[in-house]
Amino acid sequence: MREAPKNRIAKDAIKAWRLSAALVMLVPWALAIASFFLVHFIEVTYWYSTSAVALLIVVTYLVVVFVPKIRWRRWRYELFEQEIYIQHGILVVSRTLVPMIRVQHVDTKQGPILKRYRLSNLTISTAATVHEIPALPEKEAADLRDQISELARVDEDDV
Amino acid sequence: MSNPKRLHPAAMIFRVISIVRSLIFAIGATVIVTMGNDFFNYIVLGIVGLIAFFIITSVIEWLRFRYAVVGDELRIEQGLIVRKKRYISKNRIQSIDLTQSVIHRLFNLTKVQIETAGSDLSTDASLSAVTLEEGQALRKELKYHNGEAVESEYVDEIEQDEEEQYTKETISTKRLVIAGSTSGSIGVILGLFIVLFSEVERFIPTHVYDDAMSWFLTQTISVLIVLALIVLIFLWVLGILGTVIKYGNFEVTRYEDELYITRGLLEKKQVTIPLKRIQALGIKESIVRQPLGFATLYVEIAGGEGGQNARTFIFPLLKRSEVKPFLEKILPEYQSLSNEFIGVPNRAAPYYMVRASFLPVVVLVVTLIFAIDFWYVPFVFILIAMSLGWLRMKTAGYYIDREHLIFRSRDFSKDTIMMKHNRVQSIQLRQTLLHRKQQIATVQSSILNNFAGRHAGVRELDYEQAKRIADWYSLQKRIF
Repeated sequence: MREAPKNRIAKDAIKAWRLSAALVMLVPWALAIASFFLVHFIEVTYWYSTSAVALLIVVTYLVVVFVPKIRWRRWRYELFEQEIYIQHGILVVSRTLVPMIRVQHVDTKQGPILKRYRLSNLTISTAATVHEIPALPEKEAADLRDQISELARVDEDDV
Repeated sequence: MSNPKRLHPAAMIFRVISIVRSLIFAIGATVIVTMGNDFFNYIVLGIVGLIAFFIITSVIEWLRFRYAVVGDELRIEQGLIVRKKRYISKNRIQSIDLTQSVIHRLFNLTKVQIETAGSDLSTDASLSAVTLEEGQALRKELKYHNGEAVESEYVDEIEQDEEEQYTKETISTKRLVIAGSTSGSIGVILGLFIVLFSEVERFIPTHVYDDAMSWFLTQTISVLIVLALIVLIFLWVLGILGTVIKYGNFEVTRYEDELYITRGLLEKKQVTIPLKRIQALGIKESIVRQPLGFATLYVEIAGGEGGQNARTFIFPLLKRSEVKPFLEKILPEYQSLSNEFIGVPNRAAPYYMVRASFLPVVVLVVTLIFAIDFWYVPFVFILIAMSLGWLRMKTAGYYIDREHLIFRSRDFSKDTIMMKHNRVQSIQLRQTLLHRKQQIATVQSSILNNFAGRHAGVRELDYEQAKRIADWYSLQKRIF
């Protein structure tokens, strides 16, 4: 296999991932803060709540600041005439080859957070697997989708 | 065959039997719980009423079920409350299989299962009971596309002198017995036996049970061992019998573009495998069979059959040396089997051994905490697990030629899986940080089967070799 694929995904992906990670982290934070009030009413030491908050600070840093950056740095893709080449992963780096003739359909998806940054996810489905290129600029994702479906002409015979 | 037909009346019996069978536990439980209760009579009455109701609905359903072959289509009308009509075009039919259970054989009937291309079960059709001649006629009529009338005559010819034209393979009874005795089904049967016993236990009168128990406890160790041996041998023979019944009269025939398998002593089963749908060929050598030099052949098929059996055996037992001649005869598309596998480098050994011994290590830690005196028990398991890991490493490997990719791996059984280039859905290389430092990578290919797809691959292969597989797969740059 050649070296890593050429194209990166949108830089705004980091912001979008950070925002969604932050939103998810709100839940444990709310619970941790609520536990302080609870401790006030029933007689337990504050130690549990304090250590929970300490742990949360570390986890929040990792999930919100660190991981999105690394993830963005690893995510690369490249489109060839006959195949799609994707690299992703944080600790484990995977490189995947998907031949165009195996592609069954391509989707673009966009949630509210991605919409805010004008990004969308592209998913490529074969008969057995689903591959994703996340957080592409809207326009690029749409072009890529059209391009792939143009290139993917599945033979009747092959599943 | 253009006017609508009903199924054989025995279809009603099958329907009632299948409903009652699915409810037998609920009914049995209710009866046992209420036994001796005041309501018991009412419960029995209720059950009788329920069964009567099922019989009536089965009769009506039988009346409503009609099928006909009209032009290019098989048309089925059915439904008690919601009427359904299903038209299946001949072109879409992938396979038609005739299955005969024991009851079917009593009346000389057969079940007809029609599979279409999609993996969606709801597009398939099944006729639960028609006469055998009718089933065979249907099969013949639907099998070959209309407008090729010539071909359907040709089919008649085939059926008559297929012996000369098409290659087939059968299995000898001796082989079947070997297959049964090495099948490892003894464990399954033992499990069933225990479940069954725990169910039956409460019906045994207490004093009989107590007497038996006290007799049992007064026996010497040697008597107990002999008893256990007798039980084990009994179960083993049961396992052999099960295999012989299931795979008896096994016969696989190669037609131009499909494999046709018939098997079963009591229940006769037919399976048609269109070659188009074969995604991969596998050779499985279980840990008992491998030292004896035996292997089982299976194929991964896309679509059809439903989830339970993701793989279909195309031969129950073969000598390792017979695999290649067999494939040359039956499945020449997959014959390029080689022994020149490229294995994984020795620096992969730690990964394999650590992975294998992960669970025993956890057990060891727990033992050290709670029962330190028995530390040597999990320790022995760790040694076993590590040798298993070593064995796995030695087994792992790949082979490629122009159009085939073969992976060899082991969990407990040695599994060799052979894929064609155009059946592999994607290839993935994976590296952890450590892998990158050591120049190794895990390769994984995805193929389609009728379950949820399957991954095959080799872990911790040399990075250069991994790249070679990717290059082989890449259409952009093929190395051959």
